[in-house]
Amino acid sequence: MASSFLLSCRGLSAAADETPILHDVDLEVPAGEVHVLMGPNGAGKSTLGHVLMGDPAYSVTSGSVEFDGADITELSPDKRSRAGLFLSFQAPVEIPGVPLRSFLRAMVEGRGQKMKNKEFRKKIKELAQTLDMDPAYLDRELGVGFSGGEKKKVEMLQLLLLEPKLAILDETDSGLDVDALSVVSRGMELYREQCDGTLLIITHNTRILEHLNVDCVHVMVSGRLVAAGPSGLIDEIDAQGFERFELDNSAE
Amino acid sequence: MKTKQTLIERAAAMPATTWHFLNMNDVRIEIPEDLAIAPKVRVFEPWASHGSRDEFENALADAQEAWELEHPEPTAEEQRARAELLEAEADATYGGTAQSNYQVQADAIEEARSLSVAFEHGMGDEVAAYLRYAAEDRVVISAGPGEKVNAQVLVSSVQGGVSVAAIDVVADEGSDVELSVVVDSEQDAAANAGADRASQGLVGTTVRVFADKDARVRVERTQALQEGFTDIDDMGLFAGDRARIDVRQAVLGGSCAYAGLAGDLRGSSSRIEVETRYLGRAEQVRDFNYSLRHHGAKTRCNLQANGVLADKSKKTLRGTIDLVRGCKGAEGSENETVLLVDEGVHNKTVPVILCNEDDVAGNHGATIGHIRDEQLFYLACRGLAQDAAERMFASAIVEQAALDAGSAAAREAVVRLGERMSPGFAELFEGADDDR
Repeated sequence: MASSFLLSCRGLSAAADETPILHDVDLEVPAGEVHVLMGPNGAGKSTLGHVLMGDPAYSVTSGSVEFDGADITELSPDKRSRAGLFLSFQAPVEIPGVPLRSFLRAMVEGRGQKMKNKEFRKKIKELAQTLDMDPAYLDRELGVGFSGGEKKKVEMLQLLLLEPKLAILDETDSGLDVDALSVVSRGMELYREQCDGTLLIITHNTRILEHLNVDCVHVMVSGRLVAAGPSGLIDEIDAQGFERFELDNSAE
Repeated sequence: MKTKQTLIERAAAMPATTWHFLNMNDVRIEIPEDLAIAPKVRVFEPWASHGSRDEFENALADAQEAWELEHPEPTAEEQRARAELLEAEADATYGGTAQSNYQVQADAIEEARSLSVAFEHGMGDEVAAYLRYAAEDRVVISAGPGEKVNAQVLVSSVQGGVSVAAIDVVADEGSDVELSVVVDSEQDAAANAGADRASQGLVGTTVRVFADKDARVRVERTQALQEGFTDIDDMGLFAGDRARIDVRQAVLGGSCAYAGLAGDLRGSSSRIEVETRYLGRAEQVRDFNYSLRHHGAKTRCNLQANGVLADKSKKTLRGTIDLVRGCKGAEGSENETVLLVDEGVHNKTVPVILCNEDDVAGNHGATIGHIRDEQLFYLACRGLAQDAAERMFASAIVEQAALDAGSAAAREAVVRLGERMSPGFAELFEGADDDR
């Protein structure tokens, strides 16, 4: 029977080059909620994001992933994307030779959306302005010569253009200055307002969460989800770090 | 029935050959004999910049005089010492064996102490002579000291004909010249998809650039020919002290496209930058030959080629940087990025760095392959499967060429080509300037 959660993974274990990284992960995210995934460096948070998106660099060794009522464990990343799943990259790749505008249009057309070119241009120009992006970036090669902040803004622009059902934001806030951070926060808020989007935010930085009502915080240590709780857990982690969770995990 | 062909063997030859079995030292060009000479060339330039027919030769002769003053003939004693050194080097390196053809030729050029002898055409002398003959007339763009000139030459294809422009650019000391060359099939040209290769006509340009001290010359050549036409792009460049020449080429259309560029970085601290963007699809053939010789001290050159090859297209790129004796502190680099979209493509790249001087740097690199795994995953995360991603790369190179076009005519030509490739392409650029 399909679950009532938008995203649900059960007993999910995954490996890279036969090295186990994720162990028996159970995670459920209902539609419209904001979930946060925290954990020390190397805990496997980004790996979970990539595995949920179907990154072929990882192999699922057991368990399953359900999204929007369908089992997507075997689905290719492009199909997961078209099903409404979105992964914002911690380090967005550069695509030399492809203007950002062409990429955005290919993305929209790939979803079978019929948008007149004039309408498309107007839309992306508006989104760029919302995110304090110089529209000149739209004609530049994707990511090439962009600062870290600009790359993250481009990720936000894609999020707002595609309006996915669930967005996994993998440390979208890392390496950003205060101004860029506020732009990214604005992007997240807009996404929530525009389409009542669901968020799974992977972060170390509690600042990015200040303007969001967090529904649930998950803590990952050594590839396992070791704790989950309400937003108060963020303050506890902020004050005390992950030591308690790491000790609990090693005791088990 | 196959028409009789004029063959130009060993065109666009690289200076120092590699293994013959690789079949990439030069290229053989076939020109149908029944093509009529019919140049269709339009020139837009300020009247004041219209130069005299022998302006280029005169500029080179003046430069020769100045160069000889700075580089007096070696004394008999110096010549003897040099000969002894060469002999000793030959003994040490080759056990006294003969020099290669390249070395003999290179030494002969240097010993001639003549800038006109050293001046080369990228496509070779035979092709350049043919193009000059076919052009019938010569366009000479001349900028006086400190002047700024902007010119445009449009060369249109002619069905069953040879349409060629011969262009000389003479930029005096401290001047600034911008030249846009658009090689195109006009809007009303009949569609001839699938036509016999090279049977429809030949289009070409032969461009000579003389950039005197502190001059700056930018040449943009955009080729957006209809299928079936052959394109020949020949260039020869001369850079004086601190001169800078930038060449930007977009090779997008036609069936066979041959491009050859040779440059003499004669003046100290002179610089030549070449940026090439190309697309190969269907059964298109692309052949590039670059040869840059550093004579002056602290000279710089950079060759950058980016291309996408799809279907059964073929491409060869020969890039030679020659660091000639005396060019202390010079730096040359060449780099190519080729994306192979289909398994049926044929790609050859041969970067060559020749060095006869200490204290110089020569770098080369090539990235050849399919879309990288991390790029593919990123694109897949945005809903683009591999085939959609590959299609995007092929059309993106045309879009980028349209976006980067330095003139309205160049952009229109690229957009027309894009529209022929993919109906609806032109709509992408309607009102695009309003966004900027």
